[in-house]
Amino acid sequence: MKPRLDWIGAGLFAALLAVAPLFLNAYQVDVLNSIGLYALLALGLNLILGEAGLFNMGHAAFYAMGAYTAAILNTRYQIPILWTLPLSGLVAGAFALAVARPVVHLRGDYLLIVTIGVGEIVRIALVNDVFGITGGANGIFGINRPRVFGYIIRRPEDFFYLIWGCVALTIFLFLRLKRSRFGRALNYLREDATAAEGSGINTDYYKLAVFGLGAAWAGMAGTLFAAKMTIISPESFSFWESVVLFMIVILGGAGSIPGVLLAAFLVVGLPELFREFAGARMLVFGLVMMVMMVVRPQGLWPARGHQGFSLAALARAVGP
Amino acid sequence: MKQKLLALAAAVSLIAGVTVQAADTVKIGLMAPLTGSWASEGQGMKKIVELLAEQQNAKGGVLGKQIEVITEDDGGDPRTASLAAQRLTTKGVAAVVGTYGSSVTEASQAIYDEAKIPQIANGSTAIRLTEKGFKHFFRTAPRDDEQGRMAAQTIGKLGFKKVAILHDSTSYAKGLADESNALLKKKGTEVVFFDALTPGERDYTTILTKLKGANPDVVLFTGYFPEAGLLLRQKKDMNWKVPFIGGDATNNADLVKIAGKEAAEGYYFLSPPQPQDLDTADAKAFLDGYQKKYNELPPSIWAVLAGDGFKVMVAGIAGAKSTDSGKIADYLHKDFKGYSGLSGAISFDAKGDREGEVYRVYKVDGEGKFVLQKL
Amino acid sequence: MSQFFPFPATLNLANLVEEFFQQLTNGLAVGGIYALIALGYTMVYGVLKLINFAHGDLFTYGAYLGLTLLTSLALTDRLGFALGVLVLALMVMGLVAVLGAILERAAYRPLRQSPRLSAVVSALGASIFLQNTLMLIYGARFQVYPENILPATTLNIFGLYLPLMRVLIVLASVLMMVALYLFIQKTKIGTAIRAAAIDQDAARLMGIDVNRVIMLVFLVGPALGGVAGLMVGLYYGQINFTMGWVYGMKAFTAAILGGIGNIPGAMVGGLLLGVIEALGAAYISIAWKDAIAFCVLILILIVRPTGLLGERVADKV
Repeated sequence: MKPRLDWIGAGLFAALLAVAPLFLNAYQVDVLNSIGLYALLALGLNLILGEAGLFNMGHAAFYAMGAYTAAILNTRYQIPILWTLPLSGLVAGAFALAVARPVVHLRGDYLLIVTIGVGEIVRIALVNDVFGITGGANGIFGINRPRVFGYIIRRPEDFFYLIWGCVALTIFLFLRLKRSRFGRALNYLREDATAAEGSGINTDYYKLAVFGLGAAWAGMAGTLFAAKMTIISPESFSFWESVVLFMIVILGGAGSIPGVLLAAFLVVGLPELFREFAGARMLVFGLVMMVMMVVRPQGLWPARGHQGFSLAALARAVGP
Repeated sequence: MKQKLLALAAAVSLIAGVTVQAADTVKIGLMAPLTGSWASEGQGMKKIVELLAEQQNAKGGVLGKQIEVITEDDGGDPRTASLAAQRLTTKGVAAVVGTYGSSVTEASQAIYDEAKIPQIANGSTAIRLTEKGFKHFFRTAPRDDEQGRMAAQTIGKLGFKKVAILHDSTSYAKGLADESNALLKKKGTEVVFFDALTPGERDYTTILTKLKGANPDVVLFTGYFPEAGLLLRQKKDMNWKVPFIGGDATNNADLVKIAGKEAAEGYYFLSPPQPQDLDTADAKAFLDGYQKKYNELPPSIWAVLAGDGFKVMVAGIAGAKSTDSGKIADYLHKDFKGYSGLSGAISFDAKGDREGEVYRVYKVDGEGKFVLQKL
Repeated sequence: MSQFFPFPATLNLANLVEEFFQQLTNGLAVGGIYALIALGYTMVYGVLKLINFAHGDLFTYGAYLGLTLLTSLALTDRLGFALGVLVLALMVMGLVAVLGAILERAAYRPLRQSPRLSAVVSALGASIFLQNTLMLIYGARFQVYPENILPATTLNIFGLYLPLMRVLIVLASVLMMVALYLFIQKTKIGTAIRAAAIDQDAARLMGIDVNRVIMLVFLVGPALGGVAGLMVGLYYGQINFTMGWVYGMKAFTAAILGGIGNIPGAMVGGLLLGVIEALGAAYISIAWKDAIAFCVLILILIVRPTGLLGERVADKV
């Protein structure tokens, strides 16, 4: 596809989405909201997993950090929920930096289990009401609705514009990032870390930076989630959430922003579409995931000029 | 191209959940965990509510119309539940029954309230759910503080002095454990152990060994039946004879199957009365019908409470002579007294909580039967 | 608050020592099962560099198939306990092995030349599919093995309570692991597996049928996972369709702890994880048990980046 066609397609898609709430009922709009939240989270994870090639299956931990930061600030100190956005991002990002610092050099699968471990540790800490501020398994409730210029965001349609506005902004920023020096360094890092190191790229710095950035995005998505649900509890940040995000990025095509968006629609939307199957809906979902991956191994919409994690690169990475 | 368009249209109509139905039915929503960890409860809820709807329809339905049950899966998690709730609000249901977990119910409360649909939860015992002043919210499940009071009282009556409390970190079990702990301490009973196991595992000998070291007279386990069954079974393997008391989440026919009859014998638990122990015609008809249709006993008291929720809503619609939410809620708050449900008498206070003393004490006998105790 | 000091008021050294050894044996029994499942992860990883997230569900299938065969064929009634269970175990191993091979054929082989995380997602999809298939076939309620199949003998050694079955579980696990180890190290087929694990292309050039090796790995690993499922069903009695997630995750952790791709590593990792959990629960806090285990894992990986027995290769040196 020519670049110009790309832009026309993106514009059409955005226009279609922008008017969608006019034609859809509350439930359908709320499904789109859910998709938007996951898209936001997956775009952040895509930086870590897709652009830099760091296996992270504990993204829910950073999401939780942000959501809890926002909820605690809002319910204890009455700070308007949207004002907590930067701080939630900061807390989640700082936490990610602290955790990643000693482990970021680990080989792929070892990093994978460490991030799973971090996710579980965070969840267990939340369940056990760590420092007496997380409310244990009950979670935190009574979070205020967000307010923009005096208008209270309450209905699904209101949240739709808030969430998808954030998604649009994120796409804009991440596209710029991708084309920047930083983005090129990340891709170099993913394709061949040794060569990258050799050509003067400080790999540890870039790995940590991207980890922090992706986590900060998850933290901010957490704020939106807290604002939307008005109640958060540890079960919303289970290992399963991390798995879902991981699937979105890989299914879409690692490193591909349109791919991640498409996959968010499928991974979050399909179980809703399959509601007609009642008890069998997750079975059908699992089967569809498998088939899609087998049919399009590079992802549904692979990034252009992008080798992905080819087996050859892999053999170089892990081989003796 | 035409085919693609057709496929697209089909997909859109699927997600829109196009429902072309006759307008002369009364729709009642059921929100239940049909998939996920609590699928067994959710599927039990569905079976019971569908059976009761059949029975009610055979009697002429309500307001002269047939009842149609619309079930949505909440997956046992808050986010899916909020979507399930949104979906039910778009389907024109007059009332909603469900759901099981407290935080799952909580995620849906505001949605139903804003849509002005009466909701009646069946398994959600967290105190705060009825403290928020939602006019349309009811529950057939008793509250944690009620059960905590009953647990402390029962332990006192049975004469135990040193109590170990074990929960499983779920909001229900933790709430009950905290309530009981506070009340027991106030009464001067010594609590020698307080900790949580991880639900979903198989081997709890480590915890039992540690519990044994604390040397309690009785263990109060506030979690669910799968873990309770395993604890009893592994306790017997250890030759440890300490009695166990459990909460209503252990009132499940599978408890004895998991523990084995020998290990389950002597186990106490608290629960609203089971339909088997009520001699009302309704309860009998329900039990007979259930066994005939599904060839098993109702899986748990929570599923039965969903059945009660359905019956209450039908009675509410009939009593209010309308499907208007305000009228139903008013009727249930004020004029709905002395109703005999599948789990005993049901009426509601101003908050939507169940009135009166609901809990009974049960003990498992040598045959694995749950026997109502008189203390 | 959790109790950080679990000791009884009367400090009795003999009691403390006894409790410690009791907890140690508790941990070993749990760890034996982890190790058996971990072998499946590690073998597949060794050859394909794939984390087979559906492996935990194959374990669950072992438990369910075992239950069905046990109740429908009444093997233990006809053949007696020991022989009956042995025949049952072989049947379960066979069936789950076939299932593993089908899984490989359907979900992984088409992806062998693809980005390897694609196979991970395919594995996750397979896991969801397998789990929900079981739910639809057997229902969501817990399934329970019939009572009194197993002899309920409890050994009492130096005051430690050791149910005979726990001892048998650990013995059976260790026996199978040793057999596998010898198979890999001493036989010709084992050598082929090792060769394929080191370099598939070179192995192919040496005349090894790599596809058959991979198929074999997907027969042996699931067979061991399946028999672990049967053991859990027989001993703990209660099974349900989601149990593979919990055990699978633990076993994967164990495999990483020992050094993934390394067979003795999986054994050591499994047993060690069981013991860490038991001692963490006993002496620190039950509620934080899993968090403690993960903390230990992370610390070990910081010191030894490729696990306890893993090859010491850093990231692309």
